[in-house]
Amino acid sequence: MGNVVEIEHLTKSYGKNRGIIDVSFTIPEGDIFGFLGPNGAGKSTTIRSMLGFLRVNSGSMKILGMDGVKDREEILRNVGYMPSEAWFYDAMKVKDVIRYAADVRGVDCSKEAELLCERLKVDRNKRIRQLSYGNRKKVSIVCAMQHRPKLFVFDEPTGGLDPLMQKTFFDLVNAYVLEGATCLLSTHVLSEVNKYCKHAAIMREGRLSMLESVGIDDDTFLKFYEEQAGE
Amino acid sequence: MRYILLKEIRGNRKTFLIWSVAVGMMGLFCILLYQSMEADMRDMADMFSHMGAFSDAFGMSTLSIATLTGYFATEVGTVHGLGGGMFAAMLAIDIISKEEEQHSGEFLFSLPVSRSKVLFSKLLCVGILLVCFAMLCALFYLAGFLYLEEEVPEEFMAFILRQLGMTMEIAAICFGISAMSGKSKIGLGLGITLFFYFYDLLGKVVPDIEDYLFLGPYSYANASEIFTGVEPSMESLITAILVSLAFIGSGFFVFERRDLAS
Repeated sequence: MGNVVEIEHLTKSYGKNRGIIDVSFTIPEGDIFGFLGPNGAGKSTTIRSMLGFLRVNSGSMKILGMDGVKDREEILRNVGYMPSEAWFYDAMKVKDVIRYAADVRGVDCSKEAELLCERLKVDRNKRIRQLSYGNRKKVSIVCAMQHRPKLFVFDEPTGGLDPLMQKTFFDLVNAYVLEGATCLLSTHVLSEVNKYCKHAAIMREGRLSMLESVGIDDDTFLKFYEEQAGE
Repeated sequence: MRYILLKEIRGNRKTFLIWSVAVGMMGLFCILLYQSMEADMRDMADMFSHMGAFSDAFGMSTLSIATLTGYFATEVGTVHGLGGGMFAAMLAIDIISKEEEQHSGEFLFSLPVSRSKVLFSKLLCVGILLVCFAMLCALFYLAGFLYLEEEVPEEFMAFILRQLGMTMEIAAICFGISAMSGKSKIGLGLGITLFFYFYDLLGKVVPDIEDYLFLGPYSYANASEIFTGVEPSMESLITAILVSLAFIGSGFFVFERRDLAS
């Protein structure tokens, strides 16, 4: 099995402010890769660089065997992204947002979308502005999954979801991964990494360290946070 | 790209309808008022044409507001010129920056479509809505002429087309700013329109500015000049094209390369 994500020496700074420094990691096909770290450590910057929202200063990215910068459009065709804040167009109805995402992708995802909406109990006739944060997250999950991508990128996906929906979400992720998908899961929840991930890395102060095992205990985990807070 | 264009048109249709119906109705109302004011206009026309700088600024020194053509040029010309410019600015200044301002950019730009295609779809949407705005307003004005059983001035089409050109230029400037800034700047857009409008008025009365009037988009869209058969200067048309291309080009260039806010 090859690597779906190969990031090498990625550096991104915001003027004089640190973003990420010399980040390198790989995600093998079929993996659920846990991405841990305190707020401001650089997890979202790494993800947003991978998806082309940010222009990196140096380094290289190979995603799904393609160049992360040059082949952005083709990469995104095979990526399902769920941002930490699920924002859409307020005035649109849920069903229109879901269909819009599929239409722009140029694929008919109606069956998969219907299935996902049923599993996640999404009310498709409501307008986005009428939804709570958790319900917007569920719409975001549908948009990220309906086209059955090869790579999922989730940035703090379970925030705002009730425990039952969290379980449904991970059931879905596992099912897609069993079918061959790969997943990058950025989270603050250690138990999610322990339970679902095969590999994990932790970010601190813009730098990434691979964890030898996903089974780290709470004390070791909190140490990473304390060290950053203390720095 | 088609779906982004359609979504943009759908998303802006309310603003479009409000502005085009409001400007069109105001223009129509002005035209319909003409008959009831026609008799008084004869006395006023002479007075208005001898008010020095004021007459020059509003073109009343060259056109008589006692005629329907002169009245249309001064009254509807102002309403359409200002209304159209403001609509173009409001539409274009927000069309790209709203994605970052309202945080929907992370959703849109995670879809498999390049930034330049998104920008092109949005630019096309602005262009289509401005053409529709011009057509709808023209229909209102034509309805006014028809109701009064008056002949439509032969410069009418030139007026609509040159005003459309002006709205396109203002939109191009605002579009470029929208792509570069990432923040909603409606105040700036409206300010740009008003600045150009008053720059043109001022240029009519201040000799020092007159030579540089071609820099502003109202120079080739001035209703009083159109209805007295004055052709637009080549300088103003070339400037309009260059300014529009420069702002649109810069917008594309910067947007392709800058970081997108979450």
